[in-house]
Amino acid sequence: MLEYAWLIPVFPFAAFLLISLLPKRTLSWEDGAGYAVGGAAAALILSVLVIWEVMSGSTMVGDGPKFEWLVIGDISFTFGIWIDQLTAVMLLVVSVVGTLIVVYSAGYMHGEGEKRRRYYAEIMLFISVMYGLVISDNYLQMFIFWELVGLCSYLLIGFWYEKPSAASAAKRAFIVTRVGDIMLMAGIIILFKYVGSLDFVTLFDQETAAAVPTDMMVLATALIFGGAIGKSAQFPLHEWLPDAMEGPTTVSALIHAATMVKAGVYLTARSYPLLVQAPESLLFVAVIGGVTALIAATVALVATDIKRVLAYSTISQLGYMTLALGAGGYLVLYADTGGGYSAAVLHLMNHAFFKALLFLCAGSVIHAVGTNDMRLMGGLGKKMRITSMTMLVGALAIAGIPPLSGFWSKDEVLAAVYHAGEFNAVFFLLWFMGIATVFMTAFYMFRLWFMTFAGEPRSDYHAHESPKIMTFPLMILAALAAVSGFALFISDGFKYFIEGSIGGLVHEVHHESATDILGVIFGDPLTYLSLVLAVGGMFLAYKMYYLPGFDRSVFARGISGRLQVALENRWYISKFYDDFALRVVYAVSLVADAFDRYVIDGIVNGFAHLGGRSGNVMRTVQTGNVQRYAGLVVIGLCLLLIFMLYIAPWGGW
Amino acid sequence: MIPIEYWLVFSSLLFCIGAYGVLTKRNAIVVLMCIEIMLNSANINLVMFSSYHSVLHIDAMDTDPSGQAFALFSIAIAAAEVAVGLAILLSVYRQYKTIEVDKINILRW
Repeated sequence: MLEYAWLIPVFPFAAFLLISLLPKRTLSWEDGAGYAVGGAAAALILSVLVIWEVMSGSTMVGDGPKFEWLVIGDISFTFGIWIDQLTAVMLLVVSVVGTLIVVYSAGYMHGEGEKRRRYYAEIMLFISVMYGLVISDNYLQMFIFWELVGLCSYLLIGFWYEKPSAASAAKRAFIVTRVGDIMLMAGIIILFKYVGSLDFVTLFDQETAAAVPTDMMVLATALIFGGAIGKSAQFPLHEWLPDAMEGPTTVSALIHAATMVKAGVYLTARSYPLLVQAPESLLFVAVIGGVTALIAATVALVATDIKRVLAYSTISQLGYMTLALGAGGYLVLYADTGGGYSAAVLHLMNHAFFKALLFLCAGSVIHAVGTNDMRLMGGLGKKMRITSMTMLVGALAIAGIPPLSGFWSKDEVLAAVYHAGEFNAVFFLLWFMGIATVFMTAFYMFRLWFMTFAGEPRSDYHAHESPKIMTFPLMILAALAAVSGFALFISDGFKYFIEGSIGGLVHEVHHESATDILGVIFGDPLTYLSLVLAVGGMFLAYKMYYLPGFDRSVFARGISGRLQVALENRWYISKFYDDFALRVVYAVSLVADAFDRYVIDGIVNGFAHLGGRSGNVMRTVQTGNVQRYAGLVVIGLCLLLIFMLYIAPWGGW
Repeated sequence: MIPIEYWLVFSSLLFCIGAYGVLTKRNAIVVLMCIEIMLNSANINLVMFSSYHSVLHIDAMDTDPSGQAFALFSIAIAAAEVAVGLAILLSVYRQYKTIEVDKINILRW
C-alpha cells in the first residue's frame, strides 16, 4: 500500500489542473470549489490509509519506488517516497486541516465571484506541493517542493493583488523566505560535496555522514536550519508572517496550520540524524526557537488586528517547536531519549489543529463584522454562538489548559527543555523564556477573546452567525483541538511511536503506558508552575479586558509606556528592515547604478564612439577621385617593393 | 646584340611615363592611352626575355616562343580593353557631358 503514497499529491494536483484548465462554461460547480473539495478529500482518504499502515508498523524508508529524472555521470537524481512516523504525522496535519479549510473556503470565499477559480486552483497546488514535500526522500526533491510551497504562498498572500499592501506583503514573504532558501541550498550543496548523494537513506546513515568534516557538518546543518528560519518565520526573518495576513483568512489558516511554516519545522525534524552530529547547530536551533517564542509573544500582547495577534502567536508557537527540537537533540545525544523530538512533533500537530481553528474562527468573525480591528468589535458572543464557543476551545487549547491538546504538548516541550538544561545551562535560560511565554500566550489569547466576543459592540455592525459550511469545519477542528493531545497516550506512547523515525539515534526503547506518562507529567512541580502561569494570564486578561473599570492607561506611562510603544512598533524589527532597505540597499543600488551607467555603459559607448570617430577620419580618404586611388596604389606598390628588396632581406626573410 | 639592361631601362621608362600620365592627365582618353603605354612596356619585357631565353639555350636547339605568344595575346586583350574603355567613356560623356576624370567623383563618402 505504501508504494502508492505518491498518488497523494497527484489528486490535489489533478484538481489544480482541472480548475485552472477547464473552459469557463464547463467549470462552474461553484467556480471550482467542488473540484477542490474532491481533490482534497481524495488525498485525505489516501493519507488516512497510509497513516493506518504506519500505525500498524510498516514504513518505507529508502526502499520505496524511485523515478530517475536526471543523470549526470554516475550521479543520478530521483523522485521517491519516504514514509515514516514523522511523515505520517505531517500527512495527518496537511490532509485533515487542508480539507477542512477547503470546505470552509466554499463559504468564506462566496462573495469573490470569478476570482474563486484562481483561489481554488492555487490552494490545490499549495496542498499538492506540501504533500510532495512531506513524502520526499531526498533533499533535492524536498527543495523543489519547498520552493513551490514558497511560490504558492506568494500567489495566495497576494490574492487581492490590486490592493498595494497585499502585493507588497506577498513580495515581502517571497523575498524574506528566499533568504532562508538560499541558506538551505548552500547547506544541501555542502552535504552533496562531501557525500555525493542527497538521498536521505545515504545521508542519514551515520557511517556515510562521517565523510563530512565536523566543522562542515556544523555549517551545513546550521544552513539547513537557516532554510527553516526563513520558512518557519523564526526570529530574524519572522516579520513576513504578520504581513502575510493581507491574504484571505483561509490562506492564513492554511499557511499557519498546515503548509508553509510547518515545512520549516518539518525540515528541521527530518534533518535530525544530521543535526545531532553537530551539537553547536542544535544549540543554535534552540536559542533561535526560544528567542522567537518570547519576542513574538510580547508583540502579540499589544497587537490590535485580530489576525496579527494570531500571526505572532503562530511565530511564538513555532519558536516552541524549534526550541524543543534543539533541546531534543541534546536529549538524544546525552540522555538517549527522543523526548524533545516527540514533544516538538506533537506540538506541531496540536498547533496545526488549534491554530487552524483559531484562524477560521477569526475568519468567521471578520466575515461577519467586516473589519480586522479588535477595538471595533466586542459583544459578538451572543450573536455568533458557535464561533465564540469553538474559538474559546482553541484559546484554551493554545493557553495550555488541561485536558485540551495544547497543555500536553507544551508541557512536554518545557519538560524537555528543562531536562536538556542538565547538559547545557543555556537551556535553563531558554526554559525561562518558554515559561514566560506561557503566561503571555494565555494573556493575549484571552485578551483577543474578550475583546472580540465579550462586552458590548464598540462599533456599528450587524453581525450574524456564519453559514453551516463554515461552522461545520469549525466544530470538527474544535473537537480535534480538544482531543489531539491524547495522541500522547496512543498504544506505547507517542514518544515510542515517533522515535521510530529517528530509530538509529535512540538506542533505548521507551514503552510507556498512559499511567506512566500521566505520572511523570503530574508528578513534576514545573507542570503546576506553567498551569498557574497560564491561569494567571487568563485571569489578567479577564481583569483588564472583561471587568469594567480597569484603567489601562497606567501601562502607558513610564518604562512600561515606552515598552508598549516598542511592542506596538514590533520591536522596530520591521522598521529596521525597512530602514536597512532604504539606506543600505538603496545606497548600494545607487553605487551599482552609477557603476553600470558610467563604467559599463561608458566602456561600451566608448568603443562605439571610437569606431564612429575613426570612421569619420578614415572616410575622407574615399574622395571618389580615381586618379588619387591609382596614386595610392602606386605609392603602396613602391613601398612594398622597397620593403621586399631592401628591408626584408636584412630581417632574414 | 643589345645588352639586356638597355631593354630593361627602356621598358621601365616607358612604364613610368605611362604611370605618370595615368596619375596626372585629366582627359580620360589620354589616361586610356597612357594605360596602353604601360601595357606595351610589359609586352616589350615579355618579348625581350623570350628572345634572350632562345639565345641562352641556342646549342640545345631550345627555341621557346611562348613569351612572344603571350605578348600577342596581351595586345589582343589590350585592343578589346580599349574598345570597352572607349564605350564606357562614351556613355559617361552622355551622362555628364564631360570626360575629365577629376570631375567624375560621385562615388565617394
